[in-house]
Formats: sequence, structure tokens, C-alpha cells
Amino acid sequence: MAVIGLGKMGILHTALVNMIPLVELTALSDIDKQLSKYVQQSGLKAAFYSDVGQMLQDVKLDAALICTPAFTNLSLAALCLAHNLDVFVEKPLAHTFAAAQRMVELAAEKNAVNATGYVFAHIGLFKKAKELLDEKVIGDVFRFRSCIYISEVFAKKKGWYYDKSRSGGGAVINIASHLIYLLYWYFGSVANVFAQTLHCYSDVEDAASVYLEFSNGIKGTLDVSWSLPGYRLSYLELVVEGNNGTLELTNDYVRLYLHKAQKNIGKEWTTIHKIDLPQTSQFELGGEGYYEEDVDFVQCCLERKSPAVTWRDGLEVQRIIEAIYLSAERRLIVSVEGIDS
Amino acid sequence: MMGLDKLILGSNSFEGVSYISRTQSLYYLEHFSKEDNIVSVLRAALNLGIKSFMCSNCENVLGALNKFDRNQEITLLPVIPNAYEYAREASEKGVLGAIMTKAKGFSMYQKFRLGLRALAKIKSVIAKDVLNLLLELIHFELASFEKFKLGGVVLHGQITDLAISSHNANIIDIYQKLIKETYGVQPILATHNFGVLLPQLIEWKIKIPIMAPFNQKGFMMRPSPGKCEDLIRDTDYVIIAKKVLAGGRLSPEEGLPYLADKKLGSVVIGVGAVSEAYHTFSVAKSVLKA
Repeated sequence: MAVIGLGKMGILHTALVNMIPLVELTALSDIDKQLSKYVQQSGLKAAFYSDVGQMLQDVKLDAALICTPAFTNLSLAALCLAHNLDVFVEKPLAHTFAAAQRMVELAAEKNAVNATGYVFAHIGLFKKAKELLDEKVIGDVFRFRSCIYISEVFAKKKGWYYDKSRSGGGAVINIASHLIYLLYWYFGSVANVFAQTLHCYSDVEDAASVYLEFSNGIKGTLDVSWSLPGYRLSYLELVVEGNNGTLELTNDYVRLYLHKAQKNIGKEWTTIHKIDLPQTSQFELGGEGYYEEDVDFVQCCLERKSPAVTWRDGLEVQRIIEAIYLSAERRLIVSVEGIDS
Repeated sequence: MMGLDKLILGSNSFEGVSYISRTQSLYYLEHFSKEDNIVSVLRAALNLGIKSFMCSNCENVLGALNKFDRNQEITLLPVIPNAYEYAREASEKGVLGAIMTKAKGFSMYQKFRLGLRALAKIKSVIAKDVLNLLLELIHFELASFEKFKLGGVVLHGQITDLAISSHNANIIDIYQKLIKETYGVQPILATHNFGVLLPQLIEWKIKIPIMAPFNQKGFMMRPSPGKCEDLIRDTDYVIIAKKVLAGGRLSPEEGLPYLADKKLGSVVIGVGAVSEAYHTFSVAKSVLKA
């Protein structure tokens, strides 16, 4: 296996896959040649390449993890797929919907195992909330409100992350994309969106408010900002209303209010804390879910199965993001189904 | 080198960390942004005989330590590097960029105190030598604590766990030598993967105290509570328990008896109020016979 891109996420995935039994990490790549020293000194027994093409020629690989800036994902994925590799790509799948769509087409042609790094799919508490919603504990869902915040941008910043042509956008694609994935995972495809974005410090949006209508009739709101003080780590809140009560999900707990007892959960208030859930992770680095995410990808490569979050899922998230940007730009309700390259 | 106290005050609440809820986290952030409120908790702990304090170099914590008239009675166990401070900036600027950003906010006086020499060296060594970068980062961060009494230095869990995931004995070995030889205090490794770290250290023949989660709920005891309990039963390593009240899900009466029969060198407990300090440490002293 190889990891391409040795920024923060690349170093994290390098460490994690190196802890997975059955994985042999044989190559690492980054355009910064100085990182070869890091690889040597880190103790990793992997060859370093500053040229991905050269790495693919020299090393016999089964799979690669792409952890580079979003605008490079399509070209690197195409290169890996051309060498018949299974590929994991950190989120977002690409910087544009068109690039993400092309990636899905290429993966289908090669029948490659493909995964996107939306880590919420691997967090125990979020899986528990999904289970409760699927079991209709709160009945039929009709409405929700949600938000995701982090304290990250309080002045104009430089770099690819703040350049729309390279990152694809700001707080929506980089922060809210996790929450958009969660909503898509819980409620299915989105029919229409109406969005407004706000630029306080950056050339890309620092905040956004979005109204979403899902194809199954569920309606709700999403609020995102990366410029709110007091959020050292990203914080999520989702409140879902159904005809048997409400479900409130945060990073720390799921709180239910049920009009009638359902599936062994009593009437009125019940709180399930993250701490009380059985621990499933064998190893942790960088936060809950990342190790499980990589284990899932490796197992799916070995068993030729679809990972929890495929590129097609990543594309659906990208479609919603594209519609949000289009809606904000045109100040109109945009049909998500109408989004096509 | 002095031994570690049985009971150690932790600083998570002073830094706004809560595993219970956003509301609690916000309360901590606001309440402990006033340095006097940290001083009150430090004083309460000291009154109960808790003389060791584990903390990172957060501005409010350092400010409180400077204000506290009895600060020379406290032995500090700094946790370094302050990974969360750097992580926010590191995604787009790299580790060096994150350090430089942090340093930009300092006044000239602070820069002098925090070690401009180390900062200049960090710039010069990054391209050549990652291990040297880590060492200079440690000097840089420890400069904040130079006027206080140190009992040990804790390597942040993210760094320890990164080192074990690359099966790199060298980083750990260099770290422990630096802390022992340059600072003359006890090096300690924090981890969230006790069940992986301890066997690895035994294999590497590196004997060093480990700080890891131990609690009745099994919260963060990896790879499993059972494996961690088996390892602690058979080891002669000094183990420091943290997250002993499972991130606040257990009361001292519920959580601390679990630790009573475990072979633990020390126990770190964080508290969020003066009254909580008196209650928690009274129970801890009685249950753990400290």
C-alpha cells in the first residue's frame, strides 16, 4: 500500500495503516522532496518518492490512499487506477462536481474498490443515531435542524485551502461536507437547496446557511461557520423531529424524547452518552473513527466489497455542495437532481 | 530524580475540555478564562495536599500559575507539545508554520522567555532533521515553565502514539534522554493506546512511566479494557491513570474504587470547581489511601 501526500491527513493515515495487520506500507509520496528525511527518520520501512508516476512504476502496489489537496485528486486517482490500484481519497472527493464525477466513471471502468474519507460513518455514536433513525424509534421523520462549527479562521489566510480554484470552496466544502454526508447517510438524496454564504475574512465562504428539501419530503436547515470562537474541535449538532418524538445528536451524546416507548427505549427522555457505548476501536490516533475508516478500506480491498463510504457517496455529497454554491451565487432555489457536469 | 505524587491535579477543565456536553465545555471555557478561577482551584487542591499539577502551556493556565502566590509549592508536570494549538494551523501551514504563527502573537518579552534561540533553530533544522525539530520544539515549549518547579515532562499522547505507529524507538529514546539529561526530571509518555504502547516499550527495553486512561467504564482503554487490566497486573512499569472518572460520567464515589486494587503509581484527576476539588480529592485520598 502507498500513501500519497504527507500533510496532516497523510501523516495520520500513514501511521494508521502501518498499525493494521496484513497491511504492508511500501511507498510514500509527496512533492516536497525534503520530506524524504522525515520518512527515513520516522522509522517507516517505506520508499519515498517525490514523483507519483515513478513510484507507481517502481513499486508493486495493491492500493493507495490519496491525501493531497482536493484539486489534485482527479489526476492522482486516474494515475492510480491506470495501475489497477484500489484507491481511498480523503474528503472532499474532488474540488469540483465534474472532477468527482469523472473519478466515479474511472473507478467503475476499472472495477476498483474506492472509498472517500467521510469519517463520521465510522464513529460509534453517529452509527447509533443511524440505527435509531432506521428503526423509526422517533417515527417518521419530517424535519431537522443542524449545525457544524469550528474556530479556525479569524483573519484572511493564505494557501490552497483558501483558494476556491484549488480547494473547491471554504467552510461548506471543507467543514460542512462532513455534516452534508451525515444528512445524506441518514435521510437519502436531496431534491432542492436554498443557500446563502458569507465572506467575513476569506476569499472563500466563512459561513453558510442552507435550507434543504430531501427527495422523501424531509426538510431542514444546515448552518456552518469556521469563524466562531470557542470551538477548539469541530462541533456538530443535529435535532431531528419525527411523529414519535425527537432525536438530538451531538459529538457527545444522542438524546431522545419519545411520545411512546419504542424498541426497548422508554417514553420521554433518554440520553445515550458516547462514553457509555461499547468501545470497538483497536487503536486511536487523530480522533475516533480514522482507524476504523482505514480498516474498512483494507478489508473491502481484500474481500472485493464496497466500503462504508464509496466515491459514489462522495459524488452525491459533491452534488449537494455544488447546488449550495450555485444557489448562493444565483440567490435561487436549486434542484440538486439537475446538477450535472 | 524525584518520585511522582500519588494524586495529581489535571487541567482539562481549565482548557475547556469536556466529554459530557458542549454546554459544560463552554462553561469551562468562560469560567477558566478568568485566571483567578484557576488560582482558586489550585489553592483548594494545595490545601488538600495535592502538590502536583499536570498542564499544557495554555495562556490562561500560565497566567494563573504566575498569579498564584503559592506557585513554588507546586510541582508541575507539563504536557508537551501542545498538539491542539498546532493542529489547527498545521493543515495549511505545516508544523513549522503553525509554530511561527503561534510565536507571532508573542510580545518581545514573551519571545525572549519562550526561547527565541530555539525558534531560530527550529527554522534552520526543519529541512534537515525531524528529530532535532522535535527536540527544539520541546525546548521551545518548556521555556514557558522555566520559573516553576518541574517534576516530570509528559510527551503528548498524539506524539507518543505517532511514534509507536511508525515502530520508532528512536524518538522515544531521544526524548527520554533529553528530559533526563537536560532538565533532570522524569520523562513520561502519555498515550491513548496503552495496550499497544506497553508491549512495544518492553520489546524496545525502554522503561519509562506511562500515562493512560483507566476507568470503570473502559472509556479509551485500548485495544480493550481487559487487555489493559491484564497488562497493568503484570507490569513493573510506573503507570499513571487518567480519565479515571470516564470523562465525568462517573462520580468520585462510583469511579475511584475501581482504581483501588490496580497497580498504579499515580492518578490524575481534573476538577471544574473549588467545591468539586474538595469533594473529589477527599474521596480520592480516602479510597486510594493517598
